[in-house]
Amino acid sequence: MRDRFTSSQWAGLTLIGGLIIFPFVVSLFTGQPVESGVPKFWQGMLIQVFILAVFAMSYDILMGYTGILSFGHALFFGTGAYTIGILLKHAGWDLGSALLAVIVIAIIQSLIVGLLSLRVSGVYFAMVTLAFAQMFFLLAEATDFRQWTGAEDGLQSIPVPAWISPTTERLRFYYVTLAFAIIMYLLARQVVNSPTGRVMMAIRDNETRAKVLGYHTLTFKLIAITVSGVMAALAGAFNALWNLNANPAVLGVGTTINALLMTIIGGVGSLIGPMLGAGVIQLLGYWLNVFFGPSWPLLFGIVYILIVLFLPYGIVGTWRLRSAGWLAMWRERSRSLIRFFNHP
Amino acid sequence: MIEWIQRRRGLIAGIIAAILFAMWASSQYEPRVLASILLSGLTLGALYFLVTSGLSLIFGLMDVLNFAHGTLFMIGAYIGFTLYANPRLLLNTLPFVLAFVAGWLLARWLPFSSLPAGHRRPLWVVAVLVGVFAVWGFELAPLATTALSSGGRVPTEQAQAPVGLFIARTLGLAIAGLIAGAAFIIGSEHARRPANRDLAWPIGLLALALIIAPLRLSAEGWILALDSNTRFLLALVAGAGGGAALGGLMEWSLIRPLYSRPIYQVLVTLGLVFVGTELVKGIWGPGGYFMELPAWFSRRGPSCPSPNLIAWLQDNCASIDVLGRPFPSYRIFIIALGIAMFIGIAVLLRYTRLGMIIRAGVQDGEMVQALGINVRRVFTLVFALGAGLAALGGVAAAPFLGISPGLGQEFQLQAFIAVVIGGMGSFTGAAIGALLVGLARAFGDQIVLTGIQLPWMSEAMTFSPSIARASTVLIMALVLLLRPAGLFGKKE
Repeated sequence: MRDRFTSSQWAGLTLIGGLIIFPFVVSLFTGQPVESGVPKFWQGMLIQVFILAVFAMSYDILMGYTGILSFGHALFFGTGAYTIGILLKHAGWDLGSALLAVIVIAIIQSLIVGLLSLRVSGVYFAMVTLAFAQMFFLLAEATDFRQWTGAEDGLQSIPVPAWISPTTERLRFYYVTLAFAIIMYLLARQVVNSPTGRVMMAIRDNETRAKVLGYHTLTFKLIAITVSGVMAALAGAFNALWNLNANPAVLGVGTTINALLMTIIGGVGSLIGPMLGAGVIQLLGYWLNVFFGPSWPLLFGIVYILIVLFLPYGIVGTWRLRSAGWLAMWRERSRSLIRFFNHP
Repeated sequence: MIEWIQRRRGLIAGIIAAILFAMWASSQYEPRVLASILLSGLTLGALYFLVTSGLSLIFGLMDVLNFAHGTLFMIGAYIGFTLYANPRLLLNTLPFVLAFVAGWLLARWLPFSSLPAGHRRPLWVVAVLVGVFAVWGFELAPLATTALSSGGRVPTEQAQAPVGLFIARTLGLAIAGLIAGAAFIIGSEHARRPANRDLAWPIGLLALALIIAPLRLSAEGWILALDSNTRFLLALVAGAGGGAALGGLMEWSLIRPLYSRPIYQVLVTLGLVFVGTELVKGIWGPGGYFMELPAWFSRRGPSCPSPNLIAWLQDNCASIDVLGRPFPSYRIFIIALGIAMFIGIAVLLRYTRLGMIIRAGVQDGEMVQALGINVRRVFTLVFALGAGLAALGGVAAAPFLGISPGLGQEFQLQAFIAVVIGGMGSFTGAAIGALLVGLARAFGDQIVLTGIQLPWMSEAMTFSPSIARASTVLIMALVLLLRPAGLFGKKE
């Protein structure tokens, strides 16, 4: 058991190391400087993967660990994006305090939304959160607040500090988002492996049992929503920094569906699954777009339905279920191969 | 007495709130304005009802929250509009569907069920290959394009496939259906050969497909030559029928395998929203269409607007005089349609055997199954019924709201809110919730137009339409705070 634990740790460290040297590897292969051209483009791709990975992971804390199906997760992501955008652009705050404000607002928002919508459970919760997210989407589109939110055009050209600007200082932005994703992953792992996280999983498995055991399940569900909401809001804030804008689409249903897709494809109930799913979706979306043009969302939807039908545990879940069998099979095959060579 | 009040405090509070609101509204608006707001609210409420009733029935009976209900609404609108303005697309695809179904049904008469189950997977692959080969190069989008002329939208002169090729494709799909049907039944023990008189179905369907194939052009002309009222009725029937067929197919193929994994059902329906919207965009284009009103609701002239409903029956004016303000007669039709459907479903639920099974299933599905009733078949039927109602609503909404791929989403959201307000699984709740949301939207729209002046304000406040749309969420939040299960929902 200890052996496997270290091996997965090694895999994680290798992955991080690979991502750290990745820009230079691309630059080496293409012969272009790290700061421009193809390496810069791929840094951009991975920056989006990192941001979406945090978003998907936050979604899985709710869905995979606490068993709460929310269809309004875009609410937190979008509010984070708008908060940082408005504070930087209209209030002229500096980046640090704006990020702090994002966290505070996300905590307040998730507590309010959680208290209101946790009065219902199951699919009702999904519907209610969808309605809340849609309300914020409509408010973001409303022309009444044009001077603050920019209505349907969204917040354009958010003034990101020059030292972290995604256009001129892309490499630095790359490392900042990479660090952000790693830190968020470690934090989420702490939460999930803590006693609180265990209670969340107990609620997922059987809420009545958790209640009977004496846990005040509402509190733990609120904690899950708040943790998840803060992470999603930070991801949204970074998304706004990366795009230099925040438009109503970040609050739309599409954003939630994106998180859902990444979680399902990567594997529900694990932290690394949704992060992998984010990578798969981002890259698959890119390639499908290149090969099939504007009709790629259709293929995407079909792939998604097939995965839900036939691969319900996603990549990581299926790997965990089957890897022992696969490994045993390969070991057996290699052994018989060796036997064959030894005694032909 | 006190106990009586306590037991009905929800009802009493509701009545008091309604009276207070009515007093405020009548002080704010003059009667004729109020009448049009109420009628607009009823119109929207009727449309919402067509969506919520299906949602609520489906959820009550099988605990499936159908996120694709709005998409079915939208697809219904597109099917109805296509029959109304450009039947070519339907005439060119209907034979394919008929032939495939005929082949599928025919497979049961052939001795396939004796094949070993191991052949199943290769047979599926062959069926898909044959099917893809049969429709290879068949383009839907040109068939769907229309041109705007003075008489409304007309089909453009795009080349249809020649008859020979078309019939070959139809037969190819029949063969694909046959193989798929065979793959479906082999290895299942209880596949027995049905009675011979049922053989009429596949043969009849195939014959119909082959008859339509050469008559495509003349049938198109024949449909377009019908007067607009008949075409409109046909569109309502076709939209509802197409929606019901899609709904039934959806339940049978995608929802049914997942009854053991409830959350995944919701996820599949969410994926269908994605696929359905993209499919519609791919066939009909991302832009919107406008559906002409049929002649019953579009006459203009010196005698218009009609002074009352009876007079409208004779002069078919586009609007009817309501307390001195013209109100579109088509919206009255939508209200009537909503009421008719409400009565129809209520009668179905109350007085028929199917309704009895549905009501029993909502209370305790396992018990109904234990009593020897094929609940699965009832599930498919109810899913088809709900989808058909939503699609009917879509066709009815098309001339009033226009058609676009985003049509479903807005309705979906408001219908969800209505269902949460009314209480999941309650038919009355669905109706009341739809009505409340419809009225709220109508008042919201009026406030957007004229602004709102509350007693302590010196100047009227104005809003943008988005805020009026978002305001229904507030009503939902309020209801959730007071009654988490909705107004008519069962307590958990």
